[in-house]
Amino acid sequence: MSPANTVAEWINTKDYHTLNFERKDLVINPAKACQPLGAMLCALGVEGCLPFVHGSQGCAAYFRNNLSRHYREPVSAVSDSMTEDGAVFGGQRNLIEGLQNAHTLYKPKMIAVFTSCMAEVIGDDISAYVDKARQEEAIPMDFPVALAHTPSFKGSHITGYDNMLKGFIQSLAKPRDEKNLNNRLYVVPGFDPYPANLREIKRLLEKIGVQYTLLSDYSDVVDSPNNGTFQMYPGGTPLPEVIEALNAAGFLFLQSYSTTATRKYLQNKEKIPTESVPMPIGISNTDRFLTKVAEMTGKPIPEDIEAERGRAVDAATDAHPYIHGKRFALFGDPDVLLGVVSFLLDMGGVPVHIISSNGTPIFRKEMEGLLKTSPYGQSATVHVGKDLWHLRSLLMNDPVDLLIGDSHGKYAARDAGIPLVRIGFPITDRVNLHRSPIIGYEGTLNLITMIANTLLEEKDRNADTAHFELLR
Amino acid sequence: MFVKLSNLDLKDNGEIAEKGAPKLCMRALPGEGAERSCAFDGARVVLMPITDAAHVIHGPIACAGNSWDNRGARSSGSQLFRRGLTTDLRENDVIYGGEEKLRQALHEIAGKHKPKAIFVYNTCVSSLIGENLDLVCRQAQTALSIPVIPVNAPGFLGDKNIGNRIAGDVLLQYVIGRELEPSIPYAKNLHAINLIGEYNIAGDLWGVLPELKNLGIILQTAITGDAKFDDLRSAHRASLNVLVCSKSLTNLARHMQLRWGIPFIDASFYGVEETSNALLNIAKALGDPELLRRTRQYVKEREIFTRAQLASHKKKLAGKTAILFTGGIKTWSMVSTLKELGIQVLAGGTQNSTPEDFLRMKAMMDPAAHIIEDTSADGFLRLIKDKKPDLIVAGGKTKYLAYKTRTPFLDINHGRKLPYAGYQGMITFAQAVTRTVFSPVWDLLKHPFAGERGSSYE
Repeated sequence: MSPANTVAEWINTKDYHTLNFERKDLVINPAKACQPLGAMLCALGVEGCLPFVHGSQGCAAYFRNNLSRHYREPVSAVSDSMTEDGAVFGGQRNLIEGLQNAHTLYKPKMIAVFTSCMAEVIGDDISAYVDKARQEEAIPMDFPVALAHTPSFKGSHITGYDNMLKGFIQSLAKPRDEKNLNNRLYVVPGFDPYPANLREIKRLLEKIGVQYTLLSDYSDVVDSPNNGTFQMYPGGTPLPEVIEALNAAGFLFLQSYSTTATRKYLQNKEKIPTESVPMPIGISNTDRFLTKVAEMTGKPIPEDIEAERGRAVDAATDAHPYIHGKRFALFGDPDVLLGVVSFLLDMGGVPVHIISSNGTPIFRKEMEGLLKTSPYGQSATVHVGKDLWHLRSLLMNDPVDLLIGDSHGKYAARDAGIPLVRIGFPITDRVNLHRSPIIGYEGTLNLITMIANTLLEEKDRNADTAHFELLR
Repeated sequence: MFVKLSNLDLKDNGEIAEKGAPKLCMRALPGEGAERSCAFDGARVVLMPITDAAHVIHGPIACAGNSWDNRGARSSGSQLFRRGLTTDLRENDVIYGGEEKLRQALHEIAGKHKPKAIFVYNTCVSSLIGENLDLVCRQAQTALSIPVIPVNAPGFLGDKNIGNRIAGDVLLQYVIGRELEPSIPYAKNLHAINLIGEYNIAGDLWGVLPELKNLGIILQTAITGDAKFDDLRSAHRASLNVLVCSKSLTNLARHMQLRWGIPFIDASFYGVEETSNALLNIAKALGDPELLRRTRQYVKEREIFTRAQLASHKKKLAGKTAILFTGGIKTWSMVSTLKELGIQVLAGGTQNSTPEDFLRMKAMMDPAAHIIEDTSADGFLRLIKDKKPDLIVAGGKTKYLAYKTRTPFLDINHGRKLPYAGYQGMITFAQAVTRTVFSPVWDLLKHPFAGERGSSYE
């Protein structure tokens, strides 16, 4: 046997599995992106905002490309293309020139500056540089610029989203004035790859009659209608509402791990009423979300939302035989995983392997807590900081029926001979999945449909003639 | 530690002052956009298709996390090259250094995955914190008994084509001519060629191979599509280098000529005429009159066959118009390819080509055709509005911009999924163009909502 074949077989064994989990200094097939990518997505969600990467030019091209491939939409952003000179003399000239050019060429209402590694390694003081840019009249004195430090060697895309969000509030919002509160509920979705999720949140809030601001709201930017004209800034959270953010009646966060720094800042420093619920995936989590909205605003949940819930529960009932007792492996961002696992437990699905490359020990604890609440959660192991190569070993040695995760999971799923239901970021090999919500009762219905039908497809594909049936 | 930029002859063809000519500058203007990728990406593009090697990125998650397996270079054998390998440098590594981490990672890869060689890519972070990549690689090579090759092309060096050139340099310095058993006397393989700049995107190489085989021309190796490391080591045994794309690798061809006396020619396998030209020029350059006679006969037959297949497409497409924006040899060869389908190129442009490619494109286009100067999103939109083309042929970055303006779009760069090279590739291309131009969705888009608010119906 050739050495290549030997390796190909050996990597499927228990022996290799053990060695693979001892691996420390090498990541194989990573399942996370970097801070500035998350910052870019967050920045796209404010009205008229041009995302601006302070760092090397290649980073920005990668982020645009990856966001474009997931959303199948043009993504507008610029970079100030730091080169070797920047490494030696600092990036001040690049940032000032870049702001001037971007402001003149693309006429944004505001610019969100965030950094990639290079600027952070050399320690650029971007705040001082922006002041200098104003003094030199590269941009007008009152032109809004939000700032965030987002080096890729810390955290991941969800941390970058968080830092940019905090950057928006810190850089732009007026100080809190208790006499002039605006009665609005500020709702933060977190790093959510689905524009349809953002629309679903808005639809529910409108049905309840809540005065709200969704921050940041990129739903119309990464999913704009085709009307024959390209619009550079097709939507987003209105800039005045960002400026008014600290006068909010309260903040409701729909994700925790992609909003940690922002929540801490609002709670501890600004003393704003802040609540947080798990991502509203599944019946139980959607109930929690709506209950919290009712509690924070004093508004009752209207009957037609209850009817939606009824239909989702009905769909769950119809589909439960196909999901109950099935074994699942999942990978992705912490908040999405907490939501999907809660949904699976609602349905009697059995999570077995849960991998979060960008998960923290706190996340592991929370996930383990959730698993403990259900008899279906007893077979699961939670792995944080592991990659898709670890996942492969798990799938080969402790098989499951279905894998849930983003498109990068397709290799491990293929090797293990199981289907992949695509949830998360990025999804680059299927169309339009980001255009249907996976949150709220509607989203729960979609999830049930996707997962149950994938399992049924698999059953048909593998059935011999005797067991190939019209009724399933 | 880095390749000296001045050694790379970046301006070897001399910059030209013509409007719309590609700027050979090494950096984009700050704030003008984010179209251009970086030197690191350029080096990856050239080296990563080497299938049985491991490619490890020594940097933070950005560089590997955003790019692993994103090129569509295909392999008939090992898939090892597609694995995303990185040291995932973290804050502590930035402070205390990541060399030890890299050393461990190299041992892990060599011990468990048995690659033929390991390429180690430097990144902005690893080079800024002063990692001695060359030393770590040298030591690992001794310890592991396989080639461990440093690729010093951190992103901040500038554009993609700088990275392409550095990769060419790496191949010369560490791979080509370094056979495992140097005792075998150096002998050229007659009728053997290398295809330089062929990365087997969407399987392009496999569309060309049958034609070469039928003529008795041997592919020594592609540089680097579907290439095995050991075949690349013997690349110097070829009798001819054929540059099919990536003029940034001209340097590699030049040095191979100097060192091993291998002549080189340009060729394009896009389009019937260009494929025939390529085969004829290869036969001529190989200097075998019998091969040339055979090739003349062969291309005649293949042209007749292919043109017959294209006829129905040509009939439908005649009179259609296109805007072309790409790089490398495609800059000009696509002009003739589109012409062969009866499509008129209204405007053409390039960002990454050589002045020579640019001038050739200009010569092939209608004198009235527009040369694209403003390559920003804004410039494109104005151009589309002015010219109202039936088709845009460009790379993925233009795709969704085109869609938003309701213009049919065909990806010609690495985002595509179909092979367009060779005679069969041309048929595939014609089918793809027809499918694109005549999709009913474009009509659907042009009709506004006709419901009760039908006042906007035109």
